[in-house]
Amino acid sequence: MQRETLDVDVLIVGGGPAGLSAALRLAQLQKQRGGEPLQVAVLEKAREAGAHSLSGAVIDPSALATLVPDWQAKGLSFAAPVERDRVYLMTAGSTWRLPVVPPPLRNHGCFIGSLNELVRWLSGQVEAEGVDVFSGFAGQEVLLEGTRVRGVRTGDRGVARDGSAKAAYEAGVDIHARVTIFCDGVRGNLTKQIVSRLGLDSDREPQQYAVGLKELWDVPPDRLAPGTVIHTLGYPLRQEEFGGGFIYAMPGGRLSLGLVAGLDYRDPLFDPHAAFNRFKRHPFVTSLLEGGTLVRYGAKALPEGGWNTIPVPYMDGGLIAGDAGGFLNSMRLKGIHLAMRTGMLAAESAFEAIRADDTSAAALARYARAIDEGPVRAELYPVRNVHQAFGHGLVAGLAFAGLSILTRGRWLEDLRAHPGHERMATLAWYYGLDVPPSRTGPSVPVDRTLTFDRLTNVHYAGTAHEEDQPSHLLVDTSVCATRCGPEYGHPCIRFCPAQVYEIVREPGQPVRLQINASNCVHCKTCDIMDPYQVITWVPPEGGGGPQYNGM
Amino acid sequence: MILVVAEVQRDGTLNRATWETVAAAQQLAGGEPIVAAVLSSARAGAVGAELASGGVSEVLVASHEQLAQYTPDGFCAALLQVVGETTPTFVLLPHTYQARDFVPMAAARFGAPLVTDVTGIEGTGTDAVFLRQMFQGKLVASVRHRGSGPRFVTVQLGAFRADAVTRGDGAAAVRTMAVDISPEAVRQRPEEPFREAKQAVDLGQAERIVAVGRGIKAQEHIALAERLAAAMAAEVAASRPICDSGWLPMDRQIGSSGQTVAPKLYIALGISGAIQHLVGMKGARTIVAVNKDADAPIFEVADYGIVGDLFEIVPALAAELEKG
Repeated sequence: MQRETLDVDVLIVGGGPAGLSAALRLAQLQKQRGGEPLQVAVLEKAREAGAHSLSGAVIDPSALATLVPDWQAKGLSFAAPVERDRVYLMTAGSTWRLPVVPPPLRNHGCFIGSLNELVRWLSGQVEAEGVDVFSGFAGQEVLLEGTRVRGVRTGDRGVARDGSAKAAYEAGVDIHARVTIFCDGVRGNLTKQIVSRLGLDSDREPQQYAVGLKELWDVPPDRLAPGTVIHTLGYPLRQEEFGGGFIYAMPGGRLSLGLVAGLDYRDPLFDPHAAFNRFKRHPFVTSLLEGGTLVRYGAKALPEGGWNTIPVPYMDGGLIAGDAGGFLNSMRLKGIHLAMRTGMLAAESAFEAIRADDTSAAALARYARAIDEGPVRAELYPVRNVHQAFGHGLVAGLAFAGLSILTRGRWLEDLRAHPGHERMATLAWYYGLDVPPSRTGPSVPVDRTLTFDRLTNVHYAGTAHEEDQPSHLLVDTSVCATRCGPEYGHPCIRFCPAQVYEIVREPGQPVRLQINASNCVHCKTCDIMDPYQVITWVPPEGGGGPQYNGM
Repeated sequence: MILVVAEVQRDGTLNRATWETVAAAQQLAGGEPIVAAVLSSARAGAVGAELASGGVSEVLVASHEQLAQYTPDGFCAALLQVVGETTPTFVLLPHTYQARDFVPMAAARFGAPLVTDVTGIEGTGTDAVFLRQMFQGKLVASVRHRGSGPRFVTVQLGAFRADAVTRGDGAAAVRTMAVDISPEAVRQRPEEPFREAKQAVDLGQAERIVAVGRGIKAQEHIALAERLAAAMAAEVAASRPICDSGWLPMDRQIGSSGQTVAPKLYIALGISGAIQHLVGMKGARTIVAVNKDADAPIFEVADYGIVGDLFEIVPALAAELEKG
């Protein structure tokens, strides 16, 4: 079959903070340096820019200030500057405020804002520079010639559930580029392909992930002063579970709150969504939310592994930037500025390589040098062991975090860790003879005012997909009834924050996994955490997915 | 010479898009002669005469009994012979379902390039550049044919104006051209045309709806809801899991990913009332819910609620209504 092809100089996959910063930087370089105009294209699977972008978010404006020094004059504003930081240690019934805020959690100079709004603004800047942003088109497959990235094939449109072509069928397009910059986000489907095909992570530590669940609330405006940033440790997570809660206060009684849980938990019955509900039922959090209304819900995985887990970010004809490469500072709980920074550096390397007419890995390696010699390594290297230390529990993690601040990360040997899904214990191993009979884990009351069931929450993610299309979650369901049920009690129904996975029990039949693919909020948790690694997330038909306005 | 291949519809009339294609050909020709070809032999005389009246220098009507009904092999063979005899620089067709079906094959037989779904033409003659949309209209690609021809082009419907055709002074000559199609070469056998009998249900018009949810448990129990619906002249609808399992067609799904309805009476059987379903039916004037779970959210919107087993209640309801 013959496909349409499109030739560009630089193809950027993913219109998030990394991809759009790369596009904008390319346009700036073009203006400053002149010469033959570069053709740049950005692929974005969301229907509109920012629709799939979700973050806390406390935003460090350092990279933004480099990219667009006059961003305020150009119409970007954040909800509030950070006025005060608070850190609480929580138990089931009480909270203790830490008297001193640990330095990495001091956010003076940062802003509370919405990543969705930042991305929408960036997209406007990029389009004003004449760069084509193809929103509603997902990158399906990396086109490789030997070890050289030739470009990306976009997904077919108009394919029916049974795989047949519908009347509006349109085959995907092959976009060929001299340099492809992969900015497809955490556990990006293309980055995953290319890292494994080219062995870019072969001598790196395995990436560590977490999943963040977030809600926006409108509460009476006197609850929390705008500009307040609260982080919590402890309850509802246990010693052995990495993560914590956050509550950020914006003007007008708007609260952003959420819970981040490490995707390296051991208890197979652990349920991040139930933990988030428990967080909201904690008296301290309830006192902030009571009488308010839920505005929006969402979830997203985040790469927490840090410096030692970042794959080789360059290859023949390709670069990796942002969350796709794992550029996130898990100690400061921030990645947006690093995504923007690495996007800009990738753009600069791509530009120089194209001008020198050499886009080989050797030429693009200047990207890695720019990372090593600049603020990215300076920020990530000293804290490279912190997340791995939390693998030994909260106390060890906090001790290591403190140590790394004192020593600036100097010690003898780096800590190692296993991929998170390998840490999950079987029911028999974890519970011994006392496996909870329901195997659904301890339940949390759902009142549909303060706490919600998954399905109701998903409604507030605004997620929508064309219903008549093949499932975009490729699952080998042969293990569900025979192995996964007895061994792990079907963890997918718990770690998915959007009720994509359901176990259907019909009388006289073996249990069956039902995949509600159109509930998916594209968080990638299942692709990461399933203990058998039999779930592969591929992009659904372009345009489908959540609608994260204001998130 | 430019060849325009007319399309004749099933009722024997000329497809209007043919005139749009003639308009495109006139723009491309720059004075070159244009020949129209009719492949279908159904009412070919009338169609040929109609074409002869408008802006072409000759009309060719292919003649063979195999052409009475459309088959891709038959039409392809006829087109090959017409093109072979007339040696046009370009072959233009409207981008219809029929053209999409057989023209790629014809172009492939010639080893000739085919530019599809063209929305504009720049320049004239063999150097002409054709415009076509990519990425659902976000980009326009400029395409030029390579090679010596024939150059096949299909024209997007509505891209050129039929009333822009410059009509000639008199009628052009209509020539019948015998073509040779061996019956064995035609691998398809057309059947009687049919229209899918079932129209999509418009649940929005229904006054009464009986909707089933997961509580119905098995596909064979759908009949229960159908019996109740028949007894009260209602439409049957469902929540998402039912349509997902294929127990009812997708066009009967109510909710955020299905239809939104506001009937006078909505009976929800075994539907828990996920918000995704509620947004599709909460506008109903009277809502009756039957569910085993007294805490099911459907009872928050129901006017009448029955906490109980639908397998007992529905047959009783139906029996009572059937008496009336």
